[in-house]
Amino acid sequence: MARASVRQIWLQYVTAILLIFLLTWHLVIRVPWLRGVNSFAETLANEKVYHEITAYGVLLIIFAWTVVLHAFNGLRTILLEWTSGKYKGLITALAVILILVFGSLATYTVVGVKPLPSGG
Amino acid sequence: MTFDPKAATRTPPKKVVFKVKRYNPETGKTWWDEYEIETYRGMTVLDALLKIKEELDHTIVLRYSCRMGVCGSCGMIINGMPRLACQTQIAEVATESNPVVTVEPLKNHPVVRDLLTDFTAFFEKHRSVKPYTIRKNIEERETGDMEYLMTPEEHEMLYEYTLCISCGLCYSACPVAASDKRFLGPQALAYVWRYVADPRDEAWRERLEEVDKDEGPWSCHYAASCSAVCPKMVDPAAAIQRLRSALVKYRMGMYKKRVAKKATRPEGQVKPKKPLPPEAQTLPGVDLEALEREPPVVPVEQLLA
Amino acid sequence: MAEKDGKVKVLENRPGWIASINPWVLKIINNPERTAFVLHRITGLLMALIIMAHIYVTGTPARVGWEAWAEEISKAHGITPVTLYFFFFAGIAWYHGLNGIRLLLTEFFGVCIGKPEKPKPPYEAPSLKACQRKLLYLVFLLWGVLWALTGYIVFFK
Repeated sequence: MARASVRQIWLQYVTAILLIFLLTWHLVIRVPWLRGVNSFAETLANEKVYHEITAYGVLLIIFAWTVVLHAFNGLRTILLEWTSGKYKGLITALAVILILVFGSLATYTVVGVKPLPSGG
Repeated sequence: MTFDPKAATRTPPKKVVFKVKRYNPETGKTWWDEYEIETYRGMTVLDALLKIKEELDHTIVLRYSCRMGVCGSCGMIINGMPRLACQTQIAEVATESNPVVTVEPLKNHPVVRDLLTDFTAFFEKHRSVKPYTIRKNIEERETGDMEYLMTPEEHEMLYEYTLCISCGLCYSACPVAASDKRFLGPQALAYVWRYVADPRDEAWRERLEEVDKDEGPWSCHYAASCSAVCPKMVDPAAAIQRLRSALVKYRMGMYKKRVAKKATRPEGQVKPKKPLPPEAQTLPGVDLEALEREPPVVPVEQLLA
Repeated sequence: MAEKDGKVKVLENRPGWIASINPWVLKIINNPERTAFVLHRITGLLMALIIMAHIYVTGTPARVGWEAWAEEISKAHGITPVTLYFFFFAGIAWYHGLNGIRLLLTEFFGVCIGKPEKPKPPYEAPSLKACQRKLLYLVFLLWGVLWALTGYIVFFK
């Protein structure tokens, strides 16, 4: 088991610093007038989303893994505090599984994206 | 805890109802009792509780000692906030429109009976952080006749933290300690920082290594309730953030600390021994120096027999 | 909850996890940081749950196909369950992110927590009047503004 500082510095604080920029980007690209469209729904149109996934795929994967590491390590910390560290092994295993499952799912969203249907 | 001189000098309502949370360890039951008492200007919650104990109900159990905010014994939750009963005037917590004062035992500390809480675990945590100065050269420390040098600025950086009276209010207010029994708590962690920041202490590496665990500063989430309730303005919340930040720098190899050296006496100059004042002179025929050289053996076994 | 400790039962007297999500377990004066902590924890927990759903749903183009995605997005006009989901998710993220920046400054960098000082009336701890307090009010203000702006974009644009 890594030192508490290693976990907290890298999994909580460094990811938090990265997320300030990544989350801002993720939210800002949904602003219609910054994307040259008329509505929020149009920023989520197939062509726009396909372009984001193909053009910024690596950034999206980094974002997803940063989010899951920050979120589920945070969840682990909260659950450990609430249980006074009673089920440490179980909670850590749960956090690792959640990180791997949802990190992989997010990675598949980028690498496994289907091409847009012709004319669509 | 912010002091409001206006509230403290106000006249309290003439009659105040005290709602006291009771606990019976034999039956394991808790309940609330109500007492109406007459107040006077300047009356503290501790005065009121002692009046209740003397005149209305002798069975109330509470702990107190100095009655002037020095010993830290009479911590309790007064109107929902951890406070020292001896430092809380009734005029601060009861108003004419709501002349009610609720008193509960401190949270996060086990309750022995009524308002009396058990501080064993709290003091164990305090003890575990080695709350004393550690020097590598023990001989130098024990036999030295000169002080360790420290600048006024360095002193000011840690003076605030030396004012802790271990009253346990911060630990009672902490929302993390409310669920996590392992958490060292604001008091113990503030002590760690107090010694890490102290230039006279040489064990800062060991202290930082020791405290780098889940129950250390990482469990603090800066609710700052500890600083808001501290009756001595110790500011444990800031101490923990400084400690955590120092730990981050230490792990990144960027933490530096100046360790104080002992003041040196000019060569050949021997510290002059001050003679004892007349009132402190020993009895005629007693040779203090001889006693120091050869301490008398007290036959304890014989005395006991 | 009473625990057997020798011959007498000692009352544990810890509020437990509820203290993390209820700022009124204690009524502490001059302590908005506690409310900020509770909100940070609630939004953090909600985000951890919503992120799972979000990652699953945004995987639709890869898992199912673009037709299914287009059908989902067709519901993102006006006030619908889809736009409400975006609205609340963004609101939670705004608070957690903004307060997170304040916490990074205080916890990670150890700044904005004031300088130790000698006690003097009215005996207010330095960290409670340091710039983190102003940042906290700024967090609440920006949260309101950005959430309102998000509502405008999601519902009316």
